[in-house]
Amino acid sequence: MIFLNINNLNIFIDGKKILDDFNLTINQGEVHAIMGPNGCGKSTLANVLAGNEDYIINSGKIIFKDEDLLDLNIEERAQKGVFLAFQYPVEIPGVNITPFLQASINSKLKNENKPELDSLSFAKLLRKKAEELGIDSEMLKRSINTGFSGGEKKRYEILQMSVLNPQFTIFDETDSGLDVDALRIVTEGINRFKNKDNSFLIITHYQKLLNYIHPDYVHVMLNGKIVQSGDISLAAEIERSGYKNFK
Amino acid sequence: MTLEDNFKQHSKEYFFSNDEFLSKQRLDIFNKIFLKKFDNKNNESLKNLSISDFTLFDYYYQNNNVEPKVTKIENDNYKINIVNGLCKNYSDENIEIRNISSSDFKKFRDQKYEDLNDLVLNFNKIFLNSGIFFNIKKNNKLKLKIFHNTQDNFTIFQNNFFNFQEYSQVNLEDEFNLSNNTINNINYNFQAAEGSVIKHNIFQNFSNTNRLYLTTNTVCEKKSSFTQNTYNFADGFVRNFHFAKLNGEFSNASLKGCFFLKNKNVCSNKTHIIHNAENCESNQTYKGILNDNSKANYFSNTFVTENAQKTEGYQLSKGILLTDNCSFFSKPELRIFTDDVKCSHGSIIGPVDESALYYLRSRGITKNQAMKMIISSFIDEEIICLDINSAEKININLSNYLNSLA
Repeated sequence: MIFLNINNLNIFIDGKKILDDFNLTINQGEVHAIMGPNGCGKSTLANVLAGNEDYIINSGKIIFKDEDLLDLNIEERAQKGVFLAFQYPVEIPGVNITPFLQASINSKLKNENKPELDSLSFAKLLRKKAEELGIDSEMLKRSINTGFSGGEKKRYEILQMSVLNPQFTIFDETDSGLDVDALRIVTEGINRFKNKDNSFLIITHYQKLLNYIHPDYVHVMLNGKIVQSGDISLAAEIERSGYKNFK
Repeated sequence: MTLEDNFKQHSKEYFFSNDEFLSKQRLDIFNKIFLKKFDNKNNESLKNLSISDFTLFDYYYQNNNVEPKVTKIENDNYKINIVNGLCKNYSDENIEIRNISSSDFKKFRDQKYEDLNDLVLNFNKIFLNSGIFFNIKKNNKLKLKIFHNTQDNFTIFQNNFFNFQEYSQVNLEDEFNLSNNTINNINYNFQAAEGSVIKHNIFQNFSNTNRLYLTTNTVCEKKSSFTQNTYNFADGFVRNFHFAKLNGEFSNASLKGCFFLKNKNVCSNKTHIIHNAENCESNQTYKGILNDNSKANYFSNTFVTENAQKTEGYQLSKGILLTDNCSFFSKPELRIFTDDVKCSHGSIIGPVDESALYYLRSRGITKNQAMKMIISSFIDEEIICLDINSAEKININLSNYLNSLA
């Protein structure tokens, strides 16, 4: 089975090429990291994988679990196991976390022809996952991301991932705006969730996050395409000399 | 039938047609309207109102054999069934309810509200055919549910008077069960005496052949509190104009409303609060969801007189436009004639937040379900304040509205 294969993906926005014949293959259980300067197309890639309808695909293919991802809309991709941890999680006042997440997990279970969770079973699951991440149960009574600090928002993204149990998670600059303690808590959450069935694509600017997560592969992205791939030593090189040595 | 024909043909049938003062006043108003003709461009009372719908109607009002009823459910809980603007006279140790008399009307007819510029209120005076006087006695804590039942083709021009005596606490609910082809021009006058606390919830849901022009005028005396929540799910035209005057120190008024429009429905809203004493607070908040080709407007106004130091006034209007063809016009106004005040106003109208929609969908929630979540959240805080039964009623209506969006 092909887990994830991105093949010659091209995206233009307002006449400018953002992704340029982009190629990437991720196998089940692998952790990949993409590093690149601002504006190189990292967040565009994350959003295109999640199905954001603001982006028009000019050409290319994305195969996920032997299925053409581009044929699926945003929610269908999520139901199939794609999860985007947002760089800037959206505040939605009035939409309470608990019923929202229950609706999310039930839409996934329904898609898998599995029985949906009733409110009691879901509350138990949510409490357990929140405890594992050190999230206060009071937080679960609040509206989505409303009034959360930057660290709380990112931790809440990890909680959602943990509850929804996706097979493929994209972290879009999850480390941005986090202090050292928040970064540690978030990365511990990610590490706890890592197993042989789940794959990750981590988009970041900094080596620090990768030091905690230990990716299998690090890719350098410039002008909409991957220009070099290697192991974590690439991240150390970028930290030392920036992107000037990559073409 | 034209305004003139209605006026002349039915002039003997209106309430208090033997009252010389009222007859003269009616004639004066009629002449003013008739001679001046209508100016719908500069008159807020006519915004979104079709002049022909408004002036060409068939006046119809008859005695009928359906009995209005007042039922005392528990010691403090009353259900009042109004039929074609009339009620059954009732009195006990808590409350007095009766159809208005000439003396009631004289007592209230000189209210100092700006009704001269409001043609709907002028029509109410000209064609007045019903009205009820409610007297809530001192220190009582009551729940009143009023059901307005209007039969087919009736034109109701009703003027009601509520006297809330000192330190009374009343939860008042108005619900409209309108048949077909009815016109309901209903004016409420609330007098809130010192220390009284009134919560007024209004539920509007009826078919598109009916029209409702609902106006409330509230006067708040010292330390009294008036909180009004209007929920408009009606398919027919609704005009909600609500006014309050804070006459006594430390009084407060909150005039809030939500409306849910679809098809070619139209709704016109206005709130106006006059601060006329020190240390008073007010809140005017209207929120609307508009779909298809619907139209709404909301005028809000906080007027602070020179007597009203330490005023706090808040105005907000919010709207979600679900299509490119619907429209919501909002105009908040502040007129302040003193210096020590905290007043604010704001207006936010636009489509559903696409980033919120994307976020919810990225968690596996369908577009339709996500849309419903966002719309429900939009009025969430307006439902939290309701008791379980009322909240349930709103939730059912909201759910029906959301299902119609699919």
